[in-house]
Amino acid sequence: MIAGARQGRPSALRRLVAAAMARDLGTFIIPGPDIARTHGLDIEATGLHRVTSPRHASVLLVIGAIPPSLRESAAVVYAQMARPRVLFVLGTDKLFPLPAADVMADLSQQELIKGVRQLRSAFAEGAFYPEVSDFDAPVLQVRIEYTCPMHPEIVRDEPGSCPICGMNLVLREAQAKAGHLHIDHQEMGASMDMETASTHAHGSHHSIDHGAPVEYTCPMHPEVVQDEPGSCPKCGMDLEPRNAPAESNHEHHHMTHDEPVEYTCPMHPEVVQDEPGSCPKCGMDLVPRDIPAESSHEHHHMAHDEPVEYTCPMHPEVVQHEPGSCPKCGMDLEPRETQNKQSHKHSGMDHNGMDSDMDHSSMDHGDMAFMSMIDVTKDLPRSGDGLPMEWIEAPFGPFFPGLPSGLLLTLTLDGDTVAGSNARSLIENGELLQSSSMDTGSFVERLTSFDPLAPVAYRYLACRVLENVAGMDVSANTANARIGALERERIASHLGWLALFAQQTGFDWLMRRTTSLQLKFQHADLEQIVALKPAILTLTKRLQRTPLLKSRMAGIGLLARDATLRGPVARATGIGDDARSTDKVYTTLGFKTVSRKTGDALARLHVRLDEIIHSLALIEAAGAIELPVPTIIGEVSGTGEAVVETPRGVARLRLTLEMGKVTTAQLDTPSTHHLALINPLIEQQELGDALLAVGSLDLSPWEVRQ
Amino acid sequence: MTAQMFFIGFFGLAGVWFGIVVFRTFSMVRSALALLFSQTAIGAMFLSMQAEFLGVLQIMMMATEMSIMAIFMVMFMMDPGGLGEMDMTHQKRLSLGAGIVSFMAAVAVAVFVDWGPLASVSPDAAQQTIDLGLELLGRSMLIFETAGITILTAMIAATAVAIQPVKRTREQ
Amino acid sequence: MTTVLLLLLLAVGAYLVAVVEDWTVSGRFRLAAPVLAGIALLGRESIVPRKPDRIFFEVAPFLLLVSAILGAAVVPLTPDLIITDMATGALFINAALVYVLVALLMAGWGPDGAYAMIGGWRFLGQLIAYAMLIVMPITAVVMRAESLLTTQVVVSQAGVWNIIYQPLGFILFFIAAMALAFLPPFDLTTSKGELAGGVEAEYTGVRLAVFRLGRLALIITLAAATVIFYLGGWQGPLLPPWAWSTIKILAVTTIMLLAGRYMPRIREADLLAWCWMLGIPLALLNILLVGVLVLVFP
Repeated sequence: MIAGARQGRPSALRRLVAAAMARDLGTFIIPGPDIARTHGLDIEATGLHRVTSPRHASVLLVIGAIPPSLRESAAVVYAQMARPRVLFVLGTDKLFPLPAADVMADLSQQELIKGVRQLRSAFAEGAFYPEVSDFDAPVLQVRIEYTCPMHPEIVRDEPGSCPICGMNLVLREAQAKAGHLHIDHQEMGASMDMETASTHAHGSHHSIDHGAPVEYTCPMHPEVVQDEPGSCPKCGMDLEPRNAPAESNHEHHHMTHDEPVEYTCPMHPEVVQDEPGSCPKCGMDLVPRDIPAESSHEHHHMAHDEPVEYTCPMHPEVVQHEPGSCPKCGMDLEPRETQNKQSHKHSGMDHNGMDSDMDHSSMDHGDMAFMSMIDVTKDLPRSGDGLPMEWIEAPFGPFFPGLPSGLLLTLTLDGDTVAGSNARSLIENGELLQSSSMDTGSFVERLTSFDPLAPVAYRYLACRVLENVAGMDVSANTANARIGALERERIASHLGWLALFAQQTGFDWLMRRTTSLQLKFQHADLEQIVALKPAILTLTKRLQRTPLLKSRMAGIGLLARDATLRGPVARATGIGDDARSTDKVYTTLGFKTVSRKTGDALARLHVRLDEIIHSLALIEAAGAIELPVPTIIGEVSGTGEAVVETPRGVARLRLTLEMGKVTTAQLDTPSTHHLALINPLIEQQELGDALLAVGSLDLSPWEVRQ
Repeated sequence: MTAQMFFIGFFGLAGVWFGIVVFRTFSMVRSALALLFSQTAIGAMFLSMQAEFLGVLQIMMMATEMSIMAIFMVMFMMDPGGLGEMDMTHQKRLSLGAGIVSFMAAVAVAVFVDWGPLASVSPDAAQQTIDLGLELLGRSMLIFETAGITILTAMIAATAVAIQPVKRTREQ
Repeated sequence: MTTVLLLLLLAVGAYLVAVVEDWTVSGRFRLAAPVLAGIALLGRESIVPRKPDRIFFEVAPFLLLVSAILGAAVVPLTPDLIITDMATGALFINAALVYVLVALLMAGWGPDGAYAMIGGWRFLGQLIAYAMLIVMPITAVVMRAESLLTTQVVVSQAGVWNIIYQPLGFILFFIAAMALAFLPPFDLTTSKGELAGGVEAEYTGVRLAVFRLGRLALIITLAAATVIFYLGGWQGPLLPPWAWSTIKILAVTTIMLLAGRYMPRIREADLLAWCWMLGIPLALLNILLVGVLVLVFP
């Protein structure tokens, strides 16, 4: 039996179906195919086929250790998968909140193939089971809340109607965790506020301290005043405490509790009655409002004693004393009061909580026989094209097929145009040092596993900085061989980027080609690399004459020259910034900086392609490939710095050593800088272009330092 | 004949039903698509009346038109899914009156107009199309078509003139 | 009887298309793959998203299938093998396939998910681009046949196939047909890299099976339409008519499925711009050229 079995007695027919399903296993890869490739895994070769939506997956394949926040997202993915579903885990046992793995294996292609075999038999036998239990995890808990479709700021715990417009509130699910955090925050905020308030009172307003109670008010809506902490009913902000003078407090009490309540239509302020009901004009539920003493009186006066006249919403010149229809257009005449409009309108507006820039005059004269779109959409945010549309917020990531895995890009979409964005890495890779001091050997290993997308580069960086601190040099042969390894990684990394680009743009042939090339390059020795050179050249030529490629990329993700740019992204704008150009070992190997001028996604593609070919030449010139091995430096103390051009750009590491132990480490990585570029880069871009622009930056969420 | 009558009745009722659905839902998208299916049912009615060209044309044109209407509704209306269940109707009495009057008028026209002798066999589809064109435009077909093209050209020209020349960001 | 036979043939055709599609995707030619995939889909849960527009969600896959089958109804495989030889057949194909748009809009709106919804509306933009390029080349084709009867269209190509008589129209129609079948590089609606599957993303189990079947039927209908409009339909030497139809339709299908693998997805803005600024003038030119040809060589 598998944990995610589908309910049903395993009858003969179901067994047959299960056997067929075991031959056709859609696989969702966590964290993503990029990580699978860096581990040298060829998923498709095992017969599992990759799917991009959790809904279509039967297998959740977890590759290697993943950070807790990614595991939470993975649990959500698992919950979205249709049963029967299996969890297949390679090389890790830390899974919570995911359930226990159905099949486990080590991180290697042989183990993977073996695991898939197990998986198939487990699936064929256990896909159906009479009793199944639901998968549950804290991250899946949802809290039901109610919100107004027009006024997202209105959020309630119970159903009802919107205090602003009277529409029925709509059920929405919020993650319990977020809600919980929110509550925490509220409580904390409230208690902290209480503290500051009381100390404040204690310190300077001694006299008020005992007598005057604390009341809470909204920073945005001063009219909202209540005795207990909470959130503003209008905007949802946390209320702030303030000391109330005795009489104002009293007044407030008086206002909220003793005043009569009247009911009015949110769209037709002229409709006011004493009892709840629906608006005779538009049928919306009337909303209650308090009547402050004086205006209430005035209003009563107005509503009952003032003459009411009737006018046509389309023909203001038609005015009569009795209801009826307009002689010109036949519309129902609308009542209006002849006097004291101003104060009436004001009180209505104020208590409806409508924004003050609402068109008073149009409301007042009853121009709106029904909901005018101009009035209703007036306060909605505008996008670049000036159309007021409802914006939606959609998460892309952390396992989105067209983005580096681990990157969470939250887009606010206006149609399919990006109105705003928030990009962050879900991989908490902040602490370089596991303890206050670390011996150099484990520090090098730590940096090797720092970014699975560029292990060699960071390993090299760690070795270099240690050698700098110790003032040691490596032999010319070793230096060359290290460069061979670094350049090999660069080729593999750029091929990996091409695969991601191909996946994003649905360029299947390129994806297949680059995936297999990347797997071949990863651990290739010198001879194999020389043998692969023609394949690379063919690939580049092929890309030159691929239809649609140029129009897809040219002008997308345009970046101007900027000091924050790193690596190929910088070189695509014409900046000749490359740490390798100042490295003597590189210059003797014949290194030349590759650059383009236009600074768009197409230029980035060309820079990377050129770099692949140039790296091939560098490897040939270096004549050897050898992973950097840390030199034994002994019990050295001191500070040192090193820079290495990783596949994504310059990484800079500064270390302090005390008696041969690393005590402080500061790392500056290219992706950290590039992550901050995303928001301006994709604003007002069409969704496909925005994703391409983000993809073209070749971010590694693993190396982002937040 | 009975099968034909059945289908005419069926699609007629379907058209009316979808027409009612248009007003019985809060969702803009449902409303637009209900209108589409109402029109499609009318197209199907044409087909069952052996008016092939009219039917196919109706079925074809309406799908695009109503879908475009749906997207405009989604773009410009808040709450296009109708989750807030806001009542969008207004001037009920007037529209009720207008509806009843038009219905009576339509019934009156159907009942009191002399439709001429019943055709025993409907002409084939090609002949129908020719007849239809002549019926609608008479011998002025060429004139009308020329006028149509002229108006289209004028519309495109007017739009072209009215559009501000936008700077092309793509070809910088 | 003919209807049943043709529906069976359509099913067989859809199966073959599925085999070809599997081959283009996985690189292996496996005759059993679609059976396994189909059974696997039926064996899996069919999930309804949390807050769907239930009617849309349920109806959309069937509407896609029905519109594709209706389109196939006017396609002749041999002079006699046709479900209904409508007098407006060439127009009817288009009328039926417009409902592909409606089905995709419903499938996009139904599940209440951002990816699906954007995918659905994207197809409306796509329709604005390709629609004229379906209708206008067909216009040129029926001008030559002087009939909207699809059988008559095939007969009119007895001397010279339309692909030679009006190559411009063929290219435009072929591209537009690929856009209508949302095949790569026009898969903006169901794009995996941009929308994680888009319209398809929320469908599972039986519903997904119906959706995919509808898409296969759509592809084969469009390939068949290309064959009867431009490749001489059942005509060909030596082999019997049904064999020629089969060979041609499968060949066109394979090209349609393969083409998108060798290029990135088109930008929606480019698609619209090119279709309107280049495609429609070319289509008009095509109509003009064919008109002249028809008058000169009656």
